[in-house]
Amino acid sequence: MPAHEPRAGAVPRAWSPGGETSRLRRLALDLKRDRYLYVLALPGLVFFLLFKFVPMWGIVISFQNYSPFAGIGGSPWVGLDNFRRFFENPDFMMLFRNTMGINLLSLVCFFPLPIVLSLLLNEVRSLFYKRAVQTIVYMPHFLSWVIISGLTFIIFAKGDGLVNNMLEAAGAGRVDVLTNPNLFWIMLTIQSIWKECGWGTILFLAAMASIDPQVYEAARIDGASRLRQMRHITLPAIRSVIVVLLILRLGHMMDVGFEQVFLMYNGAVSEVAEVFDTYVYRVGIQQGQFSYSTAAGLFKSVVGLVLVVIANRIAKKMGEEGIY
Amino acid sequence: MKRKTKSRGAAVTLAGLLSLTLLLSACGSSGNGASGGSGNASTAGSGASGQSESPLELSIMAILLTPTAPADDNKIKQAIEKAVNAKMKINWVSGNNYTDKLNVALASGDIPDLTYIDDPFSSVFRNAVSQGAFWDLTPYIKDYPNLSSKISETAWNLTKMADGKNYGVPRPRPSEADPFFIIRKDWLDKLGLQVPTTTDELYNVMKAFAEKDPDGNGKNDTIPLTAYINPSDMGPLGQVEQSFTGVNGKWKLQDGKLVYSALLPETRQALEYLAKAYKEKLIPEDVASMKLTQSKDLFDSGKAGIIVDKAGTMSDHYNTLKTVDPNFKQTDFYPVTSINGYNPKGAGFAGMMAIPKSVPEDKMKRILKMMDTWMNEDVFDIQQYGFEGTDYKVENGQKVIDTDQLQKDGGPSFNQIVYVADPYASSTKVYFPAEVNDLYKKIQDDRAKSSVADISIGLYSATAVQELPEIDKKVQDMKTKIILGREPITAWDSFVNDLKNDPNMAKMSEEMTAAYEQRSAGQ
Repeated sequence: MPAHEPRAGAVPRAWSPGGETSRLRRLALDLKRDRYLYVLALPGLVFFLLFKFVPMWGIVISFQNYSPFAGIGGSPWVGLDNFRRFFENPDFMMLFRNTMGINLLSLVCFFPLPIVLSLLLNEVRSLFYKRAVQTIVYMPHFLSWVIISGLTFIIFAKGDGLVNNMLEAAGAGRVDVLTNPNLFWIMLTIQSIWKECGWGTILFLAAMASIDPQVYEAARIDGASRLRQMRHITLPAIRSVIVVLLILRLGHMMDVGFEQVFLMYNGAVSEVAEVFDTYVYRVGIQQGQFSYSTAAGLFKSVVGLVLVVIANRIAKKMGEEGIY
Repeated sequence: MKRKTKSRGAAVTLAGLLSLTLLLSACGSSGNGASGGSGNASTAGSGASGQSESPLELSIMAILLTPTAPADDNKIKQAIEKAVNAKMKINWVSGNNYTDKLNVALASGDIPDLTYIDDPFSSVFRNAVSQGAFWDLTPYIKDYPNLSSKISETAWNLTKMADGKNYGVPRPRPSEADPFFIIRKDWLDKLGLQVPTTTDELYNVMKAFAEKDPDGNGKNDTIPLTAYINPSDMGPLGQVEQSFTGVNGKWKLQDGKLVYSALLPETRQALEYLAKAYKEKLIPEDVASMKLTQSKDLFDSGKAGIIVDKAGTMSDHYNTLKTVDPNFKQTDFYPVTSINGYNPKGAGFAGMMAIPKSVPEDKMKRILKMMDTWMNEDVFDIQQYGFEGTDYKVENGQKVIDTDQLQKDGGPSFNQIVYVADPYASSTKVYFPAEVNDLYKKIQDDRAKSSVADISIGLYSATAVQELPEIDKKVQDMKTKIILGREPITAWDSFVNDLKNDPNMAKMSEEMTAAYEQRSAGQ
């Protein structure tokens, strides 16, 4: 496969006079030459067509007053009514604020942590110790949110929670964590960090592993300290990984892990806990307003897509590769 | 060169295989759901004696309330199948998210032959009915003696849809002895207190439970009333509120009109009462973030003195409690008769079983016939008692059930498909000692004198279907905040004021009143 690449890339644009026919002919030539590679890519294409693009047809129900028994063909079209109803809903601003708030907090507090952790792990000399730490920090990723919310209850419950029992024994008063609107976003962020921080280091560590040791050696000979090596070798080497992950993360700015919020949700924190995902679930699945909730979901996805495109543009402007 | 061709050939084969698997798995997943029937009918049919017809093959979607579902080759299932001449393919769906699964099934249009509808009045089901997705069973019911006699007239009446027809067979349930306060009699006796009959007395009992160390461990660590609040409703605390309002459900009949219960001044009183109780730690501090099981654990570990439940759940609680407190007697699980002259009365049914129009008429009739036969005493006894020797023994002419074994064999799960209601089934059980059953029976008879039914069941208002779920949620959010002391009671007053001026509120009230008058006139 590497043998093909220089050839394909070496064809300069100016070389052909750019007509439609010659472009098509070149495509046909390419197809013929790399046919086996294309055949290999076929299953992937089929997968995306079948499981990603075909179901997308379903979003047309957001422009209908969809009734399952009339089907997509038989349901009346209502244009943008569902969207109008969604945007005019007084809850819309609350949903938007909560979704963005939780995500911004996570972007600022959670996103840099795996980078820091992997930098630290990278500096660990004892291989055994490094592996042991890695294994332990990966572990929480495999716990389900149900278990984590149960643990959170056991630790932070006001009545008989671990932390509050200790606080009381120490003479301090009991603190309300689980039903406190001021702490809800922070609690979610800490839960996410606890669960996913270790797992997030995998890509960064992989990128660091690919750095040529000779570069470090040369730096050491030039008298660079460990901190300098980190700043001038390790960080630049993983910069493109950071950017790619950041762009992908921006695409999820409108998603909040549904299970997490749903499980931690209670009436006392509703005004800070209701996000697009829980709203779509409640209104769509529980109340059966399929079209309306699809409209809400579609809006969310479109915003996510726009964010990815913008972030990618910016990354390219700044000389990074971006994701496409 | 040769090596290269070989690897190319391998690549093509691999790619072909991969895409084939993808296609196959895609077809498989869509094909599975559509064809409900199973292939091996001949094996089951051979046992049916005296039946010339081949067994009825049908798919069923039922709710599962136990941790594990009865297996496909379950003995009790096979015995029932033999008795009713059917081959059932049952999809047991956990009660934790039955509504979600049902809504998805209804949305996809892929509905099993006999489907449990947990809420016959949900907008999704009403929609489905108005689109003609389910059989109107009204003209057929009279042909089946058990269906028409063993299911109460009230249940049939209340499950009628807006057009006055029955689109499902209601699952009969006893209407008396709905979940209400159950109090630890041993704690009352120890502190020399009486069973409360008013909300003030209830408060005094709770206060004493909190401060006078009823469990005798020398510490004030007891929580009088264990409860939890759901995101969309009051949970067990609803019984406190309803004791104040005297209303079962969301609508009160006042001067000939149906009024949303949150607007009543009594609801405000109840909230003040609960806020006080929360402040004084008479209800759990984590009431808003607790879930059902956590609240039940508080009672079962001997930390709480009052729980909201059915008397018939006694043995569940007793079995755990007696390991913590060996002195706890079964009769100490003591149901409260009424508070402020109120106790809730059930609707007499729990959801219904509906048959979709995709089932041909002949098969629909055979399904009704199957349910009818199933309600015969000899068939129903199979799931009620299990098999002699393993699930029950005969002592002095009485069947003594090994409940654990019967539970293990899945007997009670089949009650979720077909059930014959014994009016005392919510409080008494065949496996309770006679003295417990006598006590519960007496209390149930007392409760029946003052029990209040939910008059809004089955009443249809288009506005309510669309708007009420969101209003309910907002109301509950506000209630939770007031109970926790986050908002002063004045916040409730302005909230209720806004609600009163909401045009949708007036419209719902009007539509509900009209539906109520229409039904009252019809009877």
